[in-house]
Amino acid sequence: MPKKVYFEDINVGDAMPELKKGPVQKLQHVMYAGASGDFNPLHTDDDFAKAVGMDGVIAHGMLIMGSVGQAITSWIPKKHIKKFGVRFSGMTKPGSTIIITGTVTNKRIEAGKNIITCEVTAKDEQGDVKVTGSFEAALPSKG
Amino acid sequence: MADKSKQGKEYPPMVWEVERGKIRELVRAIGDFDPVWVDKEVATKEGYKDCPAPPTFLTVPMMWCGSMPQVINDLKINFAMVLHGEEEYEYYQEIYPGNVITGRPIITKVEEKTSKSGRKMDMVTMEIDYTNQKGEKVAKARSLLVERK
Repeated sequence: MPKKVYFEDINVGDAMPELKKGPVQKLQHVMYAGASGDFNPLHTDDDFAKAVGMDGVIAHGMLIMGSVGQAITSWIPKKHIKKFGVRFSGMTKPGSTIIITGTVTNKRIEAGKNIITCEVTAKDEQGDVKVTGSFEAALPSKG
Repeated sequence: MADKSKQGKEYPPMVWEVERGKIRELVRAIGDFDPVWVDKEVATKEGYKDCPAPPTFLTVPMMWCGSMPQVINDLKINFAMVLHGEEEYEYYQEIYPGNVITGRPIITKVEEKTSKSGRKMDMVTMEIDYTNQKGEKVAKARSLLVERK
């Protein structure tokens, strides 16, 4: 479904549409390991995870970042995204439901481009923060 | 102690051909069913030349080419104690299936920090500049690795 988002339609304080993902499954960790090539057994092998002091496997941080990316691009097409960064602040265990939200924090014209900055957060249902970050997009103008 | 002598070290370029199937695998694993990633017709209607690589796709060449493991080994980081602290991308143009991209990894920062609880941590920042087969810049990735001591 083609999406059109214009600079004029977005304002500071606007909320990014919320995306609820999950529950994250161990099978998804295996799929993500194969897709991404990150075979750290901490994500797929409970015995290994326990041996290094965890309760069990945890999701790849990049899987959660990927979900945040999904939340962004289901709102603003990929072609407009110029920058996307996150900090991984909490581990995600299988069975967690991840809720991704965002707020537009800045809107400006820079070197002739219509730039917005949006802060994003991924939390679980208990409110534990998994990822915080932001993205910048250069949007078309209705002109 | 963090090995500061590695700051500025460049690693051999990695070359990666972007496959349509690899994009499909990644979005399937994420659970992102937007057809733009997998259906060329949908993608072209939305103004792309083909299915674009999703925002976190560059993790695929980084991990499959072994750049991250190479850095972890070279810096003698304990694999079991390493955490991914941060990841950031800058996008200059789309990456499409069939593109051959080259990534040039460099260690930009090595530092030791102490957490609030008094625990020592080594922080390593790696940047990778990506170009396509025409030599055009397509993206930059920045990764922060944290080794708990």
